[in-house]
Amino acid sequence: MLNGLNVEGSTPLHRMSVRTKLAILLVLGVALYFVSSLFVLVPAFVLAVGIYFTTGLPVRDGLSRLKPILFTIVILLIATAYLASIREATEAFFRLMALVLFAGAVTATTATGDFIDEITRLLQPLDRLGLVRAADVGLAFGLVLRFVPDIFNHYQAIREAHRARGLKVRPLTILAPLIILTLKDADTIAMAIDARGFRRPRTDRNK
Amino acid sequence: MDIRFSGASVSFGARTVLQPLTLMLTERRIGIIGLNGSGKTTFARLINGLVKPTTGTVSVNGLDTVRDEGAVLAAAGFIFQNPQHQIIMPIVHEDIAFGLKNRGLKTDEIERRSAAVLARFGIAHLAKRRVHELSGGETQLVAISSVVVTGPGILILDEPTNQLDLKNRRLIENTIAGLDEHAIVISHDLPLIERFERVLWFHDGKLVGDGPAPETIRAYREAAEC
Repeated sequence: MLNGLNVEGSTPLHRMSVRTKLAILLVLGVALYFVSSLFVLVPAFVLAVGIYFTTGLPVRDGLSRLKPILFTIVILLIATAYLASIREATEAFFRLMALVLFAGAVTATTATGDFIDEITRLLQPLDRLGLVRAADVGLAFGLVLRFVPDIFNHYQAIREAHRARGLKVRPLTILAPLIILTLKDADTIAMAIDARGFRRPRTDRNK
Repeated sequence: MDIRFSGASVSFGARTVLQPLTLMLTERRIGIIGLNGSGKTTFARLINGLVKPTTGTVSVNGLDTVRDEGAVLAAAGFIFQNPQHQIIMPIVHEDIAFGLKNRGLKTDEIERRSAAVLARFGIAHLAKRRVHELSGGETQLVAISSVVVTGPGILILDEPTNQLDLKNRRLIENTIAGLDEHAIVISHDLPLIERFERVLWFHDGKLVGDGPAPETIRAYREAAEC
């Protein structure tokens, strides 16, 4: 959900429980998927814009959060227009943007800790059946939100290093060091999570 | 504090990164020095069970780091070289509360303890800040606070002044000097540990020096300059 950072506030969305917000988001996601009329999709988009920008997000920050996902949506639209029709691409645009904005509004009005707690609670029945470890899934979700800005910082550092060396910035030459850096971080982060006593103890020795 | 190494060694496959070691640590301030790759971090990670001994045993206050891993982790907190890696939550007060939540404390108690630790380290004003917006010194203080809040009696700090400017280095130096907890500090920043009661010097996975800070640091400097 965008860059995962909430803003302080007391809007109705801030006061709403996480479970209700996620339920509404789920219903909207499913409902909009079945709607193809622009008479419904455009008002939904306008409503989403209104909600998104009344969460307390500064306009510039709000727009910059949309940039990365816009890139993906544009690629999808071009493919849809090429493979189907311009009308279907337009419908897809309003549908996806409405969902992205609704999701962004939920993210902006919910603390990460509350997200983790709610996801952990929702998965408890599966945890009791031994199918998942609810706390681990909740933490994984929180980690994604927490480390998106860090990965973005890595990306910027690698891009600057390319420029400093007079190299052309290409997605492929950026992706490899970015993945390596992220995986190296992931090892230490996993160890830090152990050190902070989150996971159940292991009893194995170093092989 | 009573940390005992009994013939503890660490190997990764055929490579031995720490030779068998038998010693006892009881001092309030212990420094660990040595060149890069000398085994300092492995030694420190053995203490709180992040690394398990391949041979021998390590115990902390009578708790075995393999058998009693959970209790050892609670007794000995670890502050990583890059504090960004150990800050799990995006907002400062959420991260301070993270360790307490995992221990199942009630909300009132979490809030009370979090506020106390933030005040203790003079960072109460940062409580609602995003962690990726903090300065290096602030990030290090948040990392220390997030470990101290859970009440470990021992703190292990891996190069806590690494990449900090002079002002922030002084800040962290004073913070470490003022800690009530026992502190084991790995550092290349020799002035940081020069007043410590004991310094261990590692080289090529072996403990080659162990004694009061002035003597051990002098020997280390002389060896490094050769």
